[in-house]
Amino acid sequence: MDNDFLLDPAMIQEFLVESEELLQRLDQDMVTLEATPNDAELLNRIFRALHTIKGTSGFLNFEPIVRLSHRAEDVLNALRRGEVRLTKRMMDALLAARDHLGRMLSDIRAGGLKQYSIDSLLAELEAAQKPCEAPEPLHDTPTDQSATKAAAEKSAVQEHASSPVTTRPTEAPASPAEAGNVSADQKQSGKPSENNSEQTMRVNVRKLDELINLIGELVLERNRLAQLSRDFSSGRLSSAGLASAFSQSAARLSFITEELQTAGLKTRMVPIDAVFRKFPRLVRDVAHSLQKAVELEVRGQETEIDKTMVELLGDPLVHLVRNSLDHGIEMPEARVSAGKPGQGTIRLEARQEGDQIIIIVADDGAGINPDRVLHKAMEKGLVTADRARQLSSREILDFIFLPGFSTAERVNDLSGRGVGMDVVRSNLKRMNGTIQLDSVPGKGTTIWLRLPLTLAILPVLLVQVSDEAYALPLRAVLETSRIRTGEVHQVEGNEVLRLHGETLPLLRLRRMFAVQASDGELTEEKVVVLLVGEKRVALLVDRLIGQESTVIKPLGAHLHQCSSVAGATIGGDGRVRLVLDPAGLLASVEGHARQEVVQ
Amino acid sequence: METQTKVNEAPAGAVSLHDSGQGHGDLLQLVSFHIGGEEFGLDILRVQEIIRIQALTRVPNSPDFVDGVINLRGKVIPVIGLRKRFGLEELAHDKQTRIVVVEVKGNVLGFIVDSVSEVLRIPRDTVEPPPRLGKVEREYVSGVGKLDNRLLILLDVDRLMSDSEELISPQAARA
Repeated sequence: MDNDFLLDPAMIQEFLVESEELLQRLDQDMVTLEATPNDAELLNRIFRALHTIKGTSGFLNFEPIVRLSHRAEDVLNALRRGEVRLTKRMMDALLAARDHLGRMLSDIRAGGLKQYSIDSLLAELEAAQKPCEAPEPLHDTPTDQSATKAAAEKSAVQEHASSPVTTRPTEAPASPAEAGNVSADQKQSGKPSENNSEQTMRVNVRKLDELINLIGELVLERNRLAQLSRDFSSGRLSSAGLASAFSQSAARLSFITEELQTAGLKTRMVPIDAVFRKFPRLVRDVAHSLQKAVELEVRGQETEIDKTMVELLGDPLVHLVRNSLDHGIEMPEARVSAGKPGQGTIRLEARQEGDQIIIIVADDGAGINPDRVLHKAMEKGLVTADRARQLSSREILDFIFLPGFSTAERVNDLSGRGVGMDVVRSNLKRMNGTIQLDSVPGKGTTIWLRLPLTLAILPVLLVQVSDEAYALPLRAVLETSRIRTGEVHQVEGNEVLRLHGETLPLLRLRRMFAVQASDGELTEEKVVVLLVGEKRVALLVDRLIGQESTVIKPLGAHLHQCSSVAGATIGGDGRVRLVLDPAGLLASVEGHARQEVVQ
Repeated sequence: METQTKVNEAPAGAVSLHDSGQGHGDLLQLVSFHIGGEEFGLDILRVQEIIRIQALTRVPNSPDFVDGVINLRGKVIPVIGLRKRFGLEELAHDKQTRIVVVEVKGNVLGFIVDSVSEVLRIPRDTVEPPPRLGKVEREYVSGVGKLDNRLLILLDVDRLMSDSEELISPQAARA
């Protein structure tokens, strides 16, 4: 490409961003099209997307992209004109073309187009398009479609349930290999596009306008303050006048800042669809290669989440959905003999609850057998037989999240929920999120992910110990109360608190952090109950200061290993306040207790 | 902001002075400060700024040599008391106490010193290799500079901090 130098890199950048977005959408649309081949509007949308990519890449002289998208466009055109009916072969070829386009785009991003042997793909596209092959549409394809449709209509489901085995795609030619390619490709093309999205993002103009408006107000307020200062120093304004004008101004400033904070955060929020939209394709391909019939139900894709979470969420979700596909959903025959519809369902749902985002991954598969989990846990020495008898089934399922619990071999034993679940959990921890799993053998598994709405702003409860103020994430605070004498007891050398008839481990923040006593008389009279997962811990402090929204900042270098400290925030007086990590606090109590036992 | 003495970011003048210094007379430009009666020098290009001491926030379970953290215009940085680091008796902070903000391996941190005196230029060839030193371990010393009758201990902050990292590890293991 000799004329590369003529091209503005910004233009290529724009082309890449746009095309990658279009391709993402294509993925989803194509899979939908497979289910509803007669949706003319959908077909048009797919066509337009390819057409746009073709047009721009022609202008930018990306010749292989033009050739490939042109041929794919031909296929779609024939479909649009009703000359051919959509076959599975055609769809596979179209999806392969789409993947190839994705690879080319990431190559461009990485430096430039390479040499591609796309002739066979072009030929396959052409061959797939031949109307003369009309009888070929493997008869399972229409059945497959009708099955998908039927599943959508609940009434039809029962009717179908009697003979659903035939809906299994019998034809899965290049499927395993192809699925392999696809996932490899997704890994390859996934990373660069993630990098890209770190650099730039599209923001709704409305959100930006809101931001600019607020900045305008901020400037006005600044001017007002400057005026006040001038008036006061020139004597035009009395002290009393200044005091009242100043307090008004401070109130307005605090209002504007809060609005600005919200508006700023909103610009970072994107619909979770950005994460969800790759799943229809993933489910389709994996289900085909496993010869399972699976329907993916996606709900709440308009729920907005913080941009940084889009990147962090992708991998854990793929992991969970793949687990459901691989090990949750049974083979159609097994499902039918278990009295379930042959087609399994995986539900991917997002919704906002208060200041949390809930994401649900649910399947109606085989579920997890707690006995087998327990068995494995005992085998691995994670739990003693004595202790095992006291565990609830929820606690047993929690073993799945322990690092090293599972290997590939065990996975199959256990209907396989173990694959790297510890990795999923640690990823979630990085987002301040939690994961919870519930499974009913024979009925399916549901996994809840709970994430904070944003990573940037943290509502905290400020507490005081001697002269030090600490911040506790409000999310974890269950209740606060005044401690009464006689409520603290000793159990096996550890202090516990009796509260509402329950016993909680007690942590004296002053002792733990070796805070020096101040001259004041404040002495550990308030207790804060923190909820960590399903465990509770009571924290003894001197005084409760109040609630605050803070911006959390990392502690500097050399301080990462302080596990009970999550970060720092800057107080109104400019001093640094530490934000405590409830999970770390709990771990230190448990660690302490364990040490005592050992000694 | 008046409490801050910007040393580094200023002026092309300072930098070019330094550069040209290297050119002919081969001058070292140093910030000099005092800790427990000794005078130390730190290459001016390493110093981001010098600020007055402010209230430190202690971090529980942190390495011994980290005195706490401070707010440097919205950024949280650890500060390290050089007295403690050098095994000297700790003193209460006073009006003279300063924090010298430096960047070590990409991390911004502050060193607490008893006082900061001035910016000095000394000829590079007057710097001698470190002699046996008493209280200050000689590993942190890149040399000793002479200026009139004064002796200036040139501090190697990179080595100071890489040793500190080793100090952290056992601490982390204990935690």
